[in-house]
Amino acid sequence: MAFDLTIKYAGEGGEGVISSGDFTMRAAANLGYDVVTFKSFPAEIKGGYALSQVRISDEKILSQGDGFDILVAFNGEAYEVNKPLLRKGNVLIWDGPEGGDFEPEIEELEEKGVILYAVPMSKLAKEEVGAYITKNVIAMASVFTLFDFPIEVLKEEIVKKFSRKGEDVVNLNFKAIEVAQKYIKENIKKIDPYKLPGPKPKKDVIIVEGNEAIALGAAAAGVKVFAAYPITPATTVGNYLAPIILKTGGYVYQAEDEISSMAIVVGASFAGVKAMTATSGPGVSLMQELIGLASMTETPAVIVDVQRGGPSTGMPTKHDQADLFAAALGGHGDDQRVVIAPTNVEENFHLTIEAFNLAERYQLPVLFLTDASLSLRAEAIPTPNIKEIQSKLIERPTLKKGEVNPEDIQNIYRYQITEDGLSPFLAPGESPKPYTATGLEHGENSYPRTTPKERTEMMDKRFRKIQNIEDENPHLIEWDLGDLQEGEKADIAIITWGLTASIAKEAIQRLRKKGIKVAALYPKLVYPVPKKAIEKVASMADIVLVPEANYMGHLAKFIRMFTDVPPSKIVQFNIYRGEPFIPKEIEEKVEELLGKQVQA
Amino acid sequence: MDIQFVRLEEKLPPREYKSDLEPTWCPGCGDFGVVTALTRAFSEEKLDPSALSLVSGIGCSSRLPLWMNAFGLHSCHGRAVPAAVGVRLAKPEIPTIVTAGDGDLFSIGMEHFPHAARKNFNMVVISMDNRMYALTKNQVSPTSRKGYKGSLTPYGNIDEPFNVLAFSIASGATFVAQTYAGNPKHMTEIIEKAIEHPGFAFVNILSPCPTYNKIDTFKYYKGRLIDINNELGHDPSDKEKANYYAEHALDADNPDAENLEPFHGKVPIGVFYQTRKETFEEKVAKLKEQYKPENPDTVWDEILNKYKP
Repeated sequence: MAFDLTIKYAGEGGEGVISSGDFTMRAAANLGYDVVTFKSFPAEIKGGYALSQVRISDEKILSQGDGFDILVAFNGEAYEVNKPLLRKGNVLIWDGPEGGDFEPEIEELEEKGVILYAVPMSKLAKEEVGAYITKNVIAMASVFTLFDFPIEVLKEEIVKKFSRKGEDVVNLNFKAIEVAQKYIKENIKKIDPYKLPGPKPKKDVIIVEGNEAIALGAAAAGVKVFAAYPITPATTVGNYLAPIILKTGGYVYQAEDEISSMAIVVGASFAGVKAMTATSGPGVSLMQELIGLASMTETPAVIVDVQRGGPSTGMPTKHDQADLFAAALGGHGDDQRVVIAPTNVEENFHLTIEAFNLAERYQLPVLFLTDASLSLRAEAIPTPNIKEIQSKLIERPTLKKGEVNPEDIQNIYRYQITEDGLSPFLAPGESPKPYTATGLEHGENSYPRTTPKERTEMMDKRFRKIQNIEDENPHLIEWDLGDLQEGEKADIAIITWGLTASIAKEAIQRLRKKGIKVAALYPKLVYPVPKKAIEKVASMADIVLVPEANYMGHLAKFIRMFTDVPPSKIVQFNIYRGEPFIPKEIEEKVEELLGKQVQA
Repeated sequence: MDIQFVRLEEKLPPREYKSDLEPTWCPGCGDFGVVTALTRAFSEEKLDPSALSLVSGIGCSSRLPLWMNAFGLHSCHGRAVPAAVGVRLAKPEIPTIVTAGDGDLFSIGMEHFPHAARKNFNMVVISMDNRMYALTKNQVSPTSRKGYKGSLTPYGNIDEPFNVLAFSIASGATFVAQTYAGNPKHMTEIIEKAIEHPGFAFVNILSPCPTYNKIDTFKYYKGRLIDINNELGHDPSDKEKANYYAEHALDADNPDAENLEPFHGKVPIGVFYQTRKETFEEKVAKLKEQYKPENPDTVWDEILNKYKP
């Protein structure tokens, strides 16, 4: 049986709840374990309910899991929120028996089978350490001591994080650790079974959050201009990129608004360099006109949309997958766009590079849809081989001076009509032939044209670029058939995207263990809709379940719109509460659907 | 940190900067003169058509890049300045000229202009100012005079016009000038100076619309212009005087203009303000130099090591 432990720290924002999760995650990764975190906090700077959850396993972790094994409640609100979730065998570490702001219903919980340890974190921090801010260190050290995490690893992490702030700060934290260790030793009798088995062989990994992975991916892909306007939960992409990009020869530019950001991206890419922006839903709304300009002028552009709850300001720090319609179809007129979506942090890195490759190859805007939960989720991912990645990058076909005979130059046009729709790229300072890129409909030479013939030819040319995009990018469609062969009869087909896919994967593994045959498809290329793959997987079962964290069922509606899957087969499964799915929900939904079918 | 523009060794004749397309402007449009002045200035400055960018928004005047032989970006309405910022960030060695109109720059695109100015991007921003919207068939623009009749304000404009010269100086532009489409020589000189100026150069060109604007016409401007540098001896490095002149630039609209100091009913042209400050591009180049990796081969090892557990 695999080791699989989930620790949840919960309390007031600003009390060190989030950093407790980070320290614990880093320590576990340092010991060779796989880790995945889930964090959630309010949009306010201080206060409000915050949580940080760390799942630790000796096997590959797919999702944040169904719940937790150990809850550390920093305050009464954290306890109240999580009380209904406490199950038999869970451990509750709470701020008491004195000094905290609450007291749990001890008898009721013990009857339920919950194990309670009272650690007076606030009191110890105030009275024994003499610094209330060390409350979270007391909490962490208690967890380490109780569940056999080597305390030395925590100390190492503290040195790493605080040595900049001076020896006094490090010593204060060390003192808090000692106080916690002493308290646990003298006052707590361990009766739970949870115990970290000991260090595993170290893997060559890096620990990154979703938005960090995007920043690294962009730098690896060779982005030269990153223009953005601050917006939660996308701002951190730029924060992480700013120091890196100076080393790789680019610049992070804080624009006056999102419209400007997108105009800068188009301007920079028009000039011949790789450019991108990162924003969230409201920013995408503002950028739509300029995304259309990128389509019309066939200018490569990468737009990261870290989705949050909408519409309008909505829930800026919460999970949602409701920007697919806007990303794919939000422009006016018939424009050409590609939308891709990563399902986990590792893909945030690799698909950012892929977004640039697609933009450069097809000369159009590529929207990259991630979300608030994925932006904060940390994973230990294999250390990427940057040299190898960079040797495989796709670059736009810029016509260079001296590459072509002067007499042939007149026959080369920026919007040359070709079989695959792709034309040579011309860049100032590099190419011998100037032209004016225009948002007006134009002919091959970019001169404005509105004749029915030329309009039709040019629209056809632009759409021709992406007509075979599914066949040309099989690596952007992930099949998950288990033991099934392609085309074999399954009990159910599941098609899902984004973070929900990583959660569905875990549910599907459990269902298969129960003997249920599941055929699943996780398209990373979500638009243009990969029709063939979707029809193929849908043909394997009578029910096609599409779980998504949105109300309207964006991907489900796209399947109805763009494929020949019989609509009667499609079952939407939508949540829109601002949190991601948990695997159990998908597992139970499948059982419910199959149960009903058997009865009918 | 000296950033040089790409230049030719020999001058090209001005006609080499024209594309094969004939402008679709109405006969008598002031913008024809702007094309002429630009081609002459480019020739004098030895700019290379294949290493020169003209960026515009939407409107009659914003079509200008299409008539030129240079890399052009005819972008979206109001977005000429940030699109040009994109070019500046990507390739600081490529001279970048924004050629747009008063509505594009100071109405729909207003949020961008002061930021590019205060950051002192090394670009020329030309406003072809006809004091109204022409492509949509006559509406008031931010620079329309009070009482001007547009299709949406048939009773006459009830607003005061926006003073783009005073605004540019206040925004931090390091070169601010006004010239007139009916004076190609002055226009060419001013555009040349603007190109040579390292920093954000704003040039307002009074460019009459013969089709709709029957007030701010060539006839109106004839004999009404005053050259503040040559006639009044204004030194553009004098910021106080520059602000004073800019503040009074719209006085001629006033019925009592004859009696008003310092222009007595005349419309000022010339360089109002010029100063040398470090450009945005120079500052970025410094940062890049400062953070340049010692060994580019191992830069990624350094970056990734920070993320190791």
